Amino acid sequence: MSRQLIYKSLMVIIIGTITFIGGLQLFHHRHFQIPMVAGPGVTQVKKLSDYAPGLKGTMADTNVFFLEGSEPGGKMMIIANTHSNEPAALLSALIFLENSTVEKGTLIIIPQFNNSGGRNTQPGDGYPLYFEIKTPWGYKKFRMGNRIASPLDQWPDPDVYVHYPDRQMLSYLDIRNTNRTWPGRPKGALMEKLTYAAMELIREEDVDLAIDIHGAETMFPVTNCIVAPEKSLRIATMTSLTLKATEGFDNHVEPSPEGFRGLSHREIGDFSDALPFLLEAPLPFLDQPTGPKTVDLLLEGKDPFLLKLSKKGKLFVPYDEQGWPMSKRVGQHCSAVLEIAKQFSRRNSDQAIKISNVPRYADVVKNGVGFYYKDPSKSDKENVFYN
Amino acid sequence: MRKNKIKSMVSFLFLFGLLFMMTGGFNHSQELPKAQLPVLTTSAGQSPDVTTLNIVCEEAGILYDYCDVPDVDMISQGVGLGGQESQSGFHVEINTDLEKYPEGTDYQTIMFAIGASLKGMGASGLTVDDEVNRLKNIIEYCKENDIFIIGIHVGGVSKRGAPGSDNERMISAVAPYADLLIVTKDSNKDGRFTEISNNNEIPLKEIEYALNLVPLLKDIFD
Repeated sequence: MSRQLIYKSLMVIIIGTITFIGGLQLFHHRHFQIPMVAGPGVTQVKKLSDYAPGLKGTMADTNVFFLEGSEPGGKMMIIANTHSNEPAALLSALIFLENSTVEKGTLIIIPQFNNSGGRNTQPGDGYPLYFEIKTPWGYKKFRMGNRIASPLDQWPDPDVYVHYPDRQMLSYLDIRNTNRTWPGRPKGALMEKLTYAAMELIREEDVDLAIDIHGAETMFPVTNCIVAPEKSLRIATMTSLTLKATEGFDNHVEPSPEGFRGLSHREIGDFSDALPFLLEAPLPFLDQPTGPKTVDLLLEGKDPFLLKLSKKGKLFVPYDEQGWPMSKRVGQHCSAVLEIAKQFSRRNSDQAIKISNVPRYADVVKNGVGFYYKDPSKSDKENVFYN
Repeated sequence: MRKNKIKSMVSFLFLFGLLFMMTGGFNHSQELPKAQLPVLTTSAGQSPDVTTLNIVCEEAGILYDYCDVPDVDMISQGVGLGGQESQSGFHVEINTDLEKYPEGTDYQTIMFAIGASLKGMGASGLTVDDEVNRLKNIIEYCKENDIFIIGIHVGGVSKRGAPGSDNERMISAVAPYADLLIVTKDSNKDGRFTEISNNNEIPLKEIEYALNLVPLLKDIFD
């Protein structure tokens, strides 16, 4: 055997081993299941494919939880993990799912909207594959996902993504971004089918309020805010003013631009009767000039480079040594969702939505996020759901 | 005896002067003047704070007309703004009670939401200089026609800036000429509005949160 052949064989073995080890980790990540305990308020669990059969059997299909009150009223939908690398959304939705009781109206929760994105990662950015949240019964483990759906589920990407129906030209990657593919279409790319199914749900169920939960960089102006189109502006503004006055945190209102298509806060309102809102909480992990993308950075939001930038006035949110911990972000989302429901109910008493047993900002900051999660191993099996 | 009287008088005057200075002059922060309807809301700087002001007015039950970039000609045509209609970069809302104040009734009050937004000015096709000039003309018209001016700044620190910055220029264009200033505490952290109030004898009301505008405006327009 020649020396060259030995060298080549050795290289193949090394590359094969690295690929296998790396691939195995990604395989486990893609198939890791997050148990979700349906709380006392859950009355029905459906699949999103029930509203658009094109999703059935695909990785884009996802659970939809219904929490129906004893009294009829309005309907509010929470969409989480549109971007699966903004996990405060999923953590907030889980608090609602596992704790809420609905007295009036209906709450609809999609905790893992972009299920495919939740099973994807950004190895080039050094994303951690998992993170854990401390609970009174141990640690609850979550997958850390990606902003866009996995290429394993939707491929190939076009050179330019042409949005349907407006034909606006967007980045090629945005065809896998479920906050650029609204309102979707039944026979489009998989992520267009996903948003189309959600639109069908909103229309068929006569959803009044659709809240899409996100996180955004501290160096991006559209952060720590509620994005709302004209039709939702009044409720968004009153929510923002009330939260500042009663709970002490800022959550300013950003108008949804009419000319930027494909976003939930624009298309849901234009293609249904629902009032859309998009919540953004600061997420230092997503900022570019940070140290390593560690789990600590994800959960605590502390970074020395951002601190320096803050002192130079380069950030759009207040930032100090305390960072932006997950509890603050999740607490803000919980309070903002509850306040939107309250402001809507004030103006539409016959369509009121009354939700109880959900903590507000101060409670989540005090007790931590994990305090509100139930132990799946001690819950009835029929109440534990996996996507 | 006389000496004592003089001493007491001097002490009294000293204490009175001290109290006078501490309270910021003629009770500017406490005695609020009343405003009359019909009212026009508008922006000084085209920031979204004018939306907050409009929504607060609705919450307070105050029926108003709104235009983001009115000029003197439109304002002089009174309620209804001469039939102006919204178009790209120009927004009008006519909410005034037309039974009480028919179209053409002179505005008694104009409320300015102060705060600069380059995005907002750009959308209306205005430069910062255009906006300042527009505001100067409106203020001049208001003064000539006894229209009550309320300057409102609720944008907090994000709508303040270094001297000469866009936000500060909007404040300079409106605040010193207002008949009443209403600002949130964080908008007045550096005391600029207090200084303007003291220098120009303008009543100033500081509020903790923008939401406090609801009862305050109810009271002012009572």
